[in-house]
Amino acid sequence: MGKKLLILVAVVSVLALLLSACAPKPTPQPTEVPTEAPTEATEAPTEEATEAPTEEAVTIQMMVVDYIPDRTDKWLEEEVVPAFQAEHPNINVEFIYVNWGTLDETVQGYFAAGQGADIINLGSEYIAEYGDRLAPLGEYFADWDGFAQFLPSTLDTVTWEGEPRGIPWLTAPRAYMCRMDLLENAGWDHVPATFDEMVQMAGDVTVIENGAIVLKGFQATGEAATGGRGDWQEFISLIWTLGGTLYNEDGTPNFDSPEARAALQYMYDIHRAQFPDETVADLPEVTGALLASDMLACYWGNLWGAPPTNDPIWERIELFPGFTHPDFPASSPVVQVFNDWLAVPAYSEHVAEAAEFLKFLGSAENLNTYNSHFGSFPPRQDAWFGFVEEDAVMQRMAELMQEYGKGFADIRETAQLRDILMTEIPLFLTDAQDLETTIGNIQSQYTEVLEEAGRIP
Amino acid sequence: MPAFLADLAESNPRLFTSIWAAATVVFIILSSLAVGGAARWLARVRGKDRMYRHRTFWGYFFASPWIVGYLLFVLGPTLASLYWGFTRYKLPEPPQWVGLENYIELLTGDQKFRVSLLNSLYMTVLGLPLQMGAALAVALLLYQQLRGHHLFRIIYYLPVMLATSSAMLITWRLVLNPNNGILNTIIREIGEAIPPFEWLTRAGVYLVELSSAALMGLQRGDYTLLHRIVERGFPTPGAIPLWHQDQLWSKPALILIGIWSSGAMMLIYLSALLGIPREILEAARVDGASPWQQLRHVILPLISPATFYNLVVGIIATLQIFEQSYVLTENGGPAESTYFVAYYLWRSTFRFNKIGYGAAMSWLLLVIVLVLTLIQFRLSRRWVHYA
Repeated sequence: MGKKLLILVAVVSVLALLLSACAPKPTPQPTEVPTEAPTEATEAPTEEATEAPTEEAVTIQMMVVDYIPDRTDKWLEEEVVPAFQAEHPNINVEFIYVNWGTLDETVQGYFAAGQGADIINLGSEYIAEYGDRLAPLGEYFADWDGFAQFLPSTLDTVTWEGEPRGIPWLTAPRAYMCRMDLLENAGWDHVPATFDEMVQMAGDVTVIENGAIVLKGFQATGEAATGGRGDWQEFISLIWTLGGTLYNEDGTPNFDSPEARAALQYMYDIHRAQFPDETVADLPEVTGALLASDMLACYWGNLWGAPPTNDPIWERIELFPGFTHPDFPASSPVVQVFNDWLAVPAYSEHVAEAAEFLKFLGSAENLNTYNSHFGSFPPRQDAWFGFVEEDAVMQRMAELMQEYGKGFADIRETAQLRDILMTEIPLFLTDAQDLETTIGNIQSQYTEVLEEAGRIP
Repeated sequence: MPAFLADLAESNPRLFTSIWAAATVVFIILSSLAVGGAARWLARVRGKDRMYRHRTFWGYFFASPWIVGYLLFVLGPTLASLYWGFTRYKLPEPPQWVGLENYIELLTGDQKFRVSLLNSLYMTVLGLPLQMGAALAVALLLYQQLRGHHLFRIIYYLPVMLATSSAMLITWRLVLNPNNGILNTIIREIGEAIPPFEWLTRAGVYLVELSSAALMGLQRGDYTLLHRIVERGFPTPGAIPLWHQDQLWSKPALILIGIWSSGAMMLIYLSALLGIPREILEAARVDGASPWQQLRHVILPLISPATFYNLVVGIIATLQIFEQSYVLTENGGPAESTYFVAYYLWRSTFRFNKIGYGAAMSWLLLVIVLVLTLIQFRLSRRWVHYA
């Protein structure tokens, strides 16, 4: 019987080999790469990194979260990669596309398994979360002239313990935009200049019919998902506007500061100015920008959520950095700047090759093309040509960012903070708890999170 | 993975895949031989004859891919999660033994767990009976063998296949939009045409808000919202359900979707109804039983095994609601009102990287489901009648 079994094992093994040979064709190897680069993608930096990448055939994977299907992905795969491979025929690049809803789990999974994409696309606030698990890239960027072109504020987002862990890829500032025609209808000839004026304006503009809002004075970008019950990122922006900080010098949370209290109270006041009680339905979900729908007068967000910058409606929109609070002398408008970026995890076995691809992607031309897909800003100032220069709205946003910009970075244990704020803020706004309870809950819960994570003793 | 295999995976993925496939097959055969051999040895120890041993070997040989698969992919992870439940485990760090700390925290200190557990119980206590009632009502209608009942059966069952798909949940988001969703538009239109309906809608709004606010008070130990709603009094004309926009309405929105997708329960009920002997119903009619009396005293007792099955399966399914919190109400919102145990478990494990804590929660959920099921089985002796 032993002989029969041996034959059986051998036959099944051969069958398995045959079956696997019928498997789909694997990814093309570098030898199959076209030799001519397309015209739109740009040349790679010519400088050699300190540690040169291997000459052996290598495939690196890049996880992308900021992309427009059928546009960004095509550009990356059909233009950027072939152009890169013209310079580096031995390095193949594959892409993994994910969405923001699953980004955290995907990245956690990579780090947990100690393997995954060689380049990962991270959000603005992630350096505090993953900084120590990303490869330091200083030596690879040492002789890359392009690196010096990045705006210093964007480099803060990617720097951990003095070392760059990646490159900024996309810069999206958030500012206030008001439809002046709708404001004028409500008797306002100027945009609000103070916290109180914002509340007043929101109440004056808002119109409710049949238990539902048909015209709303103000909405922050994240409120579309919370039914008008606050935006946690706006809360942080307001604290900064009032001159406050998120952390004390010893690293403990500072959410019980006067600035945090005032920010939360303002959010309540503006909510109540628009929702007299909690029986009123918020604005409906719309396709496209709410500002262009005649249903919203003022909006806080980036240009993705705004009407296209070539839309004539911009003649009626005023773009401004924010407002101040007379009771807080240090208050000053803040334009919250989100810098999404690309990093190389420390587990990658192809750090040199990944860094090489980052340098290629980080050229002024590539950053310009990529950011033109989103109406965002290339994080390199020498990439501010074409759509950035030619567009008056972009120019205005660039001015605001330079004058009032503050990077949305160093948010510790982001996922849990987001959860806390997204629970506590709506409870306060809907009268389920008072201000002191809300502040106390945020402060105590976040302190516990930071303690558990070992960030504070 | 050894370095030479990693190199091979990059340089020749086809050969690498082939080697893995062959190795897997060889492993399956070897493990089958081992399981079969062990079974044969046991048979020999127990003094069985040659034919018995021969049949035992081949029986276990062919069953062993499933046995080994179960051991490796079900029992192994289950035992691992049991161990992790007693550890603080945050990848990439190794697990650290903390004893009962996770369980104590869950049962005494974690407000989020209390919130999620009460949310799940709300769905079980209020949502499941409504779902079962709707399923029974539809099954009774289909039982009448009306013209085209086959088509109706398909129509009522279709939502089961679609109910928790992301596309369907997003469609529900639009249907339930408080401002201009089709459901509220219909409620408004009917309310304008028939004033008593408008009053009924307001009464329904008041009832739901009071009950949800009371539950929130219980969850958080703060009854401020309940007091506010009582102070506000009966809703003013034009009040409408706010569905997923509001923490008081998000769970009723999910119950509505549950009712819409109760086709599987409906099928179970229908098959039970079709199994009732016609003579019994005819005898009841001859004895002068009204339709209601037939339902109450004949049909319901006879289909009680189906009710019991739907109840047990429904409780287990309701305690494991996940997709709805993830897609429809986005991250268990608003204000954690759709934070259910299964969702919190997933979030703790995969988003917050608290694997030990998540494992403890999953075991606690298992115990809760087990206890509820055992209670059901015990109570079933009183009301379930098997023919």
